[in-house]
Amino acid sequence: MKKLLALVLAIAMFLPLISVASAEDVTLTYACFSAAGAQEETLKKMISVFESKNPGIKIDVQLTGYADYFTTLATKVAGGNAPDVFEMNMENFLSYMLRGQTADLTNLGIAKDNYSAGTIAAVSSDGKLYAVPESFSTCVLIYNKALFDQAGLSYPTDTWTWADAQAAAEKIRALGDDIWGYNQPITYNEFYKSIASNGGSLLNADHSAFTVNSPENVAVLDAMIARVRGDKHVMPTQEDLAGRGDWDLFQDGKIGMIITGIWAFPTFTEKCKFDWDIVTEPGFKTKASFFFANVNCISPSSAKQEAAAKFIDAMGSDPDIVQLRLDASWELPTIADQTKLAQYLTITPPANRAAVFTSMDYAVAPPALQESAAATEIINNVLSTLETNDMTAQAALDEIQAQLEEADLLKK
Amino acid sequence: MRKKHSVVRTILFYLLLIAMAIVTLLPFLWMLSSSFKGSESIRTIPIRWIPEHPTLEGYRAVFNMQGFSFARASFNSLFLALMCTVVQVFSACMAAFVFAKIPFKGSGKLFGLYLATMMIPGTVTMVPNYIILRVLGLLDSYTGLILPSLANVFGVFLMRQSMMTLNDSYLESAMLDGASLYRVFLVIVLPMVAPTLATMVLLAFMGGWNSYLWPLIVLTSTDKQTLQVVLGNMNGLYKNKEHVLMAGAVLTILPILLVYLLTQRKVDSGISLGGLK
Amino acid sequence: MYLPKSTGRKVATAAFLAPSLIGLVVFCLIPIVSTLVFSLMDYDMLAGSMQWIGLKNFVRILTGREFPQVLLHTFTYLVLYLPLILALALMEGMVLNHNFKGRQVFRTIFYTPVITSWVAAAVVWTWVLSGKYGLLNQMLAGIGISGPPWLSSKEWAMPGIVFAALWKDAGYYALMVLAALKSIDPAYYEAAAIDGATPARRFFSITLPLVSPTLFLLMVINVIYGLQVFESVLIMTDGGPGGGTTVFLERIYKYAFDQYKMGMASAYSWILFLLILLFTLAQFRLQKKWVNYDA
Repeated sequence: MKKLLALVLAIAMFLPLISVASAEDVTLTYACFSAAGAQEETLKKMISVFESKNPGIKIDVQLTGYADYFTTLATKVAGGNAPDVFEMNMENFLSYMLRGQTADLTNLGIAKDNYSAGTIAAVSSDGKLYAVPESFSTCVLIYNKALFDQAGLSYPTDTWTWADAQAAAEKIRALGDDIWGYNQPITYNEFYKSIASNGGSLLNADHSAFTVNSPENVAVLDAMIARVRGDKHVMPTQEDLAGRGDWDLFQDGKIGMIITGIWAFPTFTEKCKFDWDIVTEPGFKTKASFFFANVNCISPSSAKQEAAAKFIDAMGSDPDIVQLRLDASWELPTIADQTKLAQYLTITPPANRAAVFTSMDYAVAPPALQESAAATEIINNVLSTLETNDMTAQAALDEIQAQLEEADLLKK
Repeated sequence: MRKKHSVVRTILFYLLLIAMAIVTLLPFLWMLSSSFKGSESIRTIPIRWIPEHPTLEGYRAVFNMQGFSFARASFNSLFLALMCTVVQVFSACMAAFVFAKIPFKGSGKLFGLYLATMMIPGTVTMVPNYIILRVLGLLDSYTGLILPSLANVFGVFLMRQSMMTLNDSYLESAMLDGASLYRVFLVIVLPMVAPTLATMVLLAFMGGWNSYLWPLIVLTSTDKQTLQVVLGNMNGLYKNKEHVLMAGAVLTILPILLVYLLTQRKVDSGISLGGLK
Repeated sequence: MYLPKSTGRKVATAAFLAPSLIGLVVFCLIPIVSTLVFSLMDYDMLAGSMQWIGLKNFVRILTGREFPQVLLHTFTYLVLYLPLILALALMEGMVLNHNFKGRQVFRTIFYTPVITSWVAAAVVWTWVLSGKYGLLNQMLAGIGISGPPWLSSKEWAMPGIVFAALWKDAGYYALMVLAALKSIDPAYYEAAAIDGATPARRFFSITLPLVSPTLFLLMVINVIYGLQVFESVLIMTDGGPGGGTTVFLERIYKYAFDQYKMGMASAYSWILFLLILLFTLAQFRLQKKWVNYDA
């Protein structure tokens, strides 16, 4: 008994010392993924910039690779242990927001004017702000100048349409059995973006019905299919790839044109032994390109939302943090002041970096469906068979339309 | 006449074995070769088995990982693997002994319950398990990672099958001589199932060393992370660092190979019947 | 085994079982019971919303268009994989049990697939199984057979995956067979030699019966694991092409973590459970016919 009392007294004596980690200090848990694999140091620097400007707020970073990030995050949220702040990409942001897992940031003092209008719109709903944008990227057409020279073709321009691209692709394909003209996978992502350039869409205006098999969409899918069928098809199928990726083929100088993300620039700079450049993606009637953004959200269950708001506002628009991002070529900041981005244009290759900014003018957001995962699966299941079967575009889209309706994904 | 016959048979035997060995080794060789490729394309047709410009760049990148200490992560993995092995082996062997040799009412049904737990995939028990760890305050701790190893059903099944083949009379005579259950277990039973026991040690070690998803979810402090998780994090969005991933994969194999060689030696020495008259 | 009765024995027995049993209850049974509850709910894991819907999830799964496919694919895998893995493991174990030169080297070689990462293995196997340039088809062409485009074809993708899985797992299970073979008391063989038994006789009267408990283990385990095949499918075809290799676990994972529908995922798991249970019970019933536990 005496021993117990002594122990309690001893602990009590030390308590004040222990809680000196002041009443002020707030620690925020921050789950993120975009830094994994290449930018861990940059992220560290950004965090220390923030912490030095905000004494009393500490950031506990939980970095996970992209592949497992969403599984891990969902488990933590479902398990009642959501991090205070978490990073999202656009597709998943909608999933989280529509399910109420992103806190309403409207009254937390985020300086909205610092950010580009388009990105703020993308993370807002019903006049409320649900995330702070951090970076954006998009896809462009990257082409192999050497192959174009070899085929005697003039380089692609921003005014090219799909027809122009197809013609060039055929000429390049003719250069050799293992040389391909074009690569743009027939997937849900490429589909929803490309149909936008032809005036089509997957849903009608008020999102009450699917419009998958509209004539505009069929025309686009027809063009996509034409690339992979026939004896001299210009685009490698899964079979032709035989385990390689499209980047691998491009790096080896085997593809003339490839639609892929601007995050390929560092890799291609390192690995391509030929000259290459970019233009905005060719469209049908107009142009369309991806809007990929990484945004930061706050968990509604977090008790530290004010501090968290300071953090994500800084990550998105603090000038020093933005500069770190630009210096590291880590995607592009989503700030409104485009002049800061001038430095991005000076790095080559590719020479035509301005095309990246032009692409942003045609950005198309992913369809806002709560059941987007289910819809994506249905669509991809049908699209992925088109390389090897005889289905026409009309038949394929009719099939998708039927399955989507059957799955009843639009109930509110 | 007889000798010629067996020479032909031996040659055929070795030829077949070598053919199988080559096929078996191919992916491993690819992994090894890719780990030495630097900026050249890793996936090519035809597969390039010998790198054009061999380099240690991949390995260097693994040792100097940004934001993580390779040494720390390796130590964490080793600790986890060893602790999991110890916990698993002891709890599974003790339970297996009961199921194999100590009949009691309902033991069959209980064993059936054990087996039944293997029939529900971990995917759906992940969230409830996470909640349990959170409620017990075991998140971000090694205890939280190691304790679930107590419930290793495969190990129980493996050891039970092996123990069931033991001759009852050895055990009964020892008990009649007054030996406690614990003594019988330790001195007689375990040595008699030594090969399977050694194999179980290897399997438990492999499981602990390779575990990925669970440490990923449960551990949040950077310096507690295991090697597999840290290497997995390098699999970023950019997919251009495969040679680093392969270097990491090769490095993580080494401890397992070591444990494999050690345990297989024990397997080879067969069972030990010492302690019996 | 004969156990002199005493409370000491009872306590000791309980103590032996306790660690394993406690772990089982806390980390297996409680979560499993939770999933049973989830399966009867419309549970959006991310939104945290749970609504009782009774057996609706089960009905939706069983009457959906994908279920027959999932059954077909999973069983195709099992039917192809099970006999072959048993045969391979047994063969490998027996071969490695012999004393021949270079035995250790070959043994380690056959073990390497087990430790090779699936990521690396998938790259090589995708090449091996490739239609145009693949190793397998080139070999088949050598004996006059034109091979299918394995992983790109709905019909042949699963067999392709089975090949890769057999390659990866044979060494793992061979270890257990080898350990069982090494556990056979050499006295049996000595006695047989004295009696003048032939190798065949030795195999059927001594080896096979004494290894049968381990073979039984392999059969039961591989049915349980086989019906839960996941990683190999995910990494080689991700359920494709065109939904041609959807299996239970792949569905369960996607419902849980792509669509956040934990109720559906749990219901799927319980349907799978019933299937596995059925098969396992049948195997246990039949074991009396061929598994030998007497020493």
